[in-house]
Amino acid sequence: MIIDINFVGLIITSIMASAVPLILASCGELITERSGVLNLGVEGMMIIGAISGFALMTVTGSLFIAVFGAMLAGVLISTIFAFLTQTLITNHVATGLALTIFGIGISAMIGKNFVGIPGKEFPVLFNSLKDTIPFLSPILFGHSIVFYFAFALPFFTNYFLKKTKIGLIVRAVGDSPESASNQGINVRLVRYACILYGGAMCGLAGAYLSMIYTPQWIENMTGGRGWIALALVVFSTWNPIKILIGAMIFGGLTIIQFHMQAMGVRIPVQFLTALPYIVTIVVLVVISRDSRKIRLSTPSSLGKSFYKDN
Amino acid sequence: MNTNLKISNVTKIYPGCIANDNVSLEFNSGKIYALLGENGAGKSTLVKILSGVIIPDEGKIHLNENNLQLNSPLDAKKNDIGMVFQHFNLFETLSVFENLIIDSDEQRESLREKIDSIMKKYNFSIDLDIPVLNLSAGQKQKVEIIRCLIRSPKVLIMDEPTSVLTEQETSELFLSLKKFSEEGILIIYITHKLKEVMQLCDEVAVMRRGKLVSVSQIKNENLESLANKMVGQRLKTIKKKKANISSDQLIKITNLNFISEDPFETNLNDINFSVNKGECLGIAGISGNGQSELFQVLSGEILSDKNSIEFNKNYIGDLNPQERREYMVAFSPEDRLEQAAIPQMKIFENVALNNFKSSNFFNNGLINEKKIREHSKKIISDFNVNTDNIDLKSQFLSGGNLQKLIMGRELITSPDLLICFNPTWGLDVGAINYIHETLIKINENNKSIILISTDTDELLKLSDKISVINKGKLSKIMNADEVTSEKLGVLMGGGEID
Repeated sequence: MIIDINFVGLIITSIMASAVPLILASCGELITERSGVLNLGVEGMMIIGAISGFALMTVTGSLFIAVFGAMLAGVLISTIFAFLTQTLITNHVATGLALTIFGIGISAMIGKNFVGIPGKEFPVLFNSLKDTIPFLSPILFGHSIVFYFAFALPFFTNYFLKKTKIGLIVRAVGDSPESASNQGINVRLVRYACILYGGAMCGLAGAYLSMIYTPQWIENMTGGRGWIALALVVFSTWNPIKILIGAMIFGGLTIIQFHMQAMGVRIPVQFLTALPYIVTIVVLVVISRDSRKIRLSTPSSLGKSFYKDN
Repeated sequence: MNTNLKISNVTKIYPGCIANDNVSLEFNSGKIYALLGENGAGKSTLVKILSGVIIPDEGKIHLNENNLQLNSPLDAKKNDIGMVFQHFNLFETLSVFENLIIDSDEQRESLREKIDSIMKKYNFSIDLDIPVLNLSAGQKQKVEIIRCLIRSPKVLIMDEPTSVLTEQETSELFLSLKKFSEEGILIIYITHKLKEVMQLCDEVAVMRRGKLVSVSQIKNENLESLANKMVGQRLKTIKKKKANISSDQLIKITNLNFISEDPFETNLNDINFSVNKGECLGIAGISGNGQSELFQVLSGEILSDKNSIEFNKNYIGDLNPQERREYMVAFSPEDRLEQAAIPQMKIFENVALNNFKSSNFFNNGLINEKKIREHSKKIISDFNVNTDNIDLKSQFLSGGNLQKLIMGRELITSPDLLICFNPTWGLDVGAINYIHETLIKINENNKSIILISTDTDELLKLSDKISVINKGKLSKIMNADEVTSEKLGVLMGGGEID
């Protein structure tokens, strides 16, 4: 069998495309969790982003308004979470779960009128360069701006956390909100900002799904990607570069198992469908074994409410 | 330049408790001031007000005649008031340098130079690029001090700074503080340790129940006069009588090892000791040297080799705490609210948790509440727990009362051996006295104690034999009357004595 090099390039491209929403949502949630807040509402925020983006695109016709609006919708719904957990000091886990259930419900309700409407084509960049180099060009060129943004994001996130003052403050708050507060850092403000940022990234991830990846609205179209994104954050031990690796493995196995099913490989379908989940977790666990590093990168106050009394 | 700090009529009221009741004090630079008081006397509240962490209900603070509005820790910093908290305000997973740069506006390089020059001047040596969690308590404190010094403060407040330090580190700290004072920094030193006040300070203010009781010169005071002012009544001094210890061996630990998978725990390395009936073995050491691991191995929270622990001629190394209790061993862990009792549960429910088979608290899987309640009432009256409501949630008991309850729960079945870990940690003098009396009584009844403690004075007072744990290794076992606190200090710091 001769493997066409361009075909391999196409497979890699489709793997990368399927990794985009995971990378966006995980990197957003990573910042939220690094500040000590556990937001289990990723799935809900993503689906709200998906319906908002699609609905705004259909109604206004403007892709810019749609993408921006989806991020804003993510910010708005995460503001509810932030208000509940930071101002009213509710439990992070329960509030996050409620957010997901709420998101799925309300998106289905809004989405009723948008089922079956075809999406719009999303503009791609560097399309003219697509045929210049075999194998490499389809991987590098001809993608949406969100695609490029997603693959740059883990590196920006890493730089932000490690090298900038604000990143240091986020880590400090996640390590010990009490100490941070005693140092004069406004813990609540930092956490609000991180939650809202996480919401924006999840909204963008959702918009990517409904506007670029599969340009249409289907009820519950995030299909558990929010939960995978959450798992990626934990199993990557809060390291954005490892999130990128994990998302690629997960995306890769999802795509490859489709191809294997199509080629009629005699492995039970159930096993093939489960494969991406198992392998991603195993690989991330193996590359993140160093317990010392885990201790150093795990936000110690994760999921704990902080209440300042004076 | 002279610095003058004036606190006038400061009051802070919490629901059900007046933390500071109309406190007025005045400090001048060039002297070291002690703020002395028991736990809950209000001294921590007062210094937290000075550092902007707590906002007072009433009262004014003046620094060099300027009225300060301290609404946040930032305000205190801006006004040149530095504070080193009792519980360190450091970010454990960040590097030392990251911890220092986070609240500084300076550039990386210039800050590094500044830190280097401070460390040189005061003879500190700390690696700036390792995470704080790898530092010893003494080093962490130095990081906190450097953090204050970077801002060249006029006032430096130290809240119970020696509770985590060795003798050696304490004397180093005192030298530094004296140096700071000579350089014109006003030092306020908060403590409940009388010896330190006598050793270090020039003036002392004593607080009790939120009120300022007295302000005086150290040269006019002595240990006893300060103690009486602090407690508000005359304290009887407790002394252990020299008892005749039998030669019957009760517990023997042989070649006990524990290798932890958690890199932040301490491994135990070839522990050997034995305790006779009626004897108290004290184990000294700086916290974090394997005490909590040793306690867990002895209590059965961590299981070990069956033959490594011999108790009354039974091998019990592989038994869990419940099974060990059946052999009449009792435990009092360090953390009263996390390990010894469940804070959200009522007193009598907590009593039932320690269920010896003999106590019949449960019939066929049902709770025998009447029996437990009777039992709880007996503990409360026998052990002087200051409440008569056994339906009270245990989190509402003060530290002293909770410790009495736990001791009572453990002791009412008169076990052969009590293993306790920092039993008087964080308690006030009255409660400490009571616990010490109780422990002495145990020995008088020919029962044994293993006392793991970081309080050297306590160990010297109560132990018959003493050993020191350092980095998971036990020193040789010495007779208590041959040991001095200086000797212990050397061993605790990892040194050798002959």
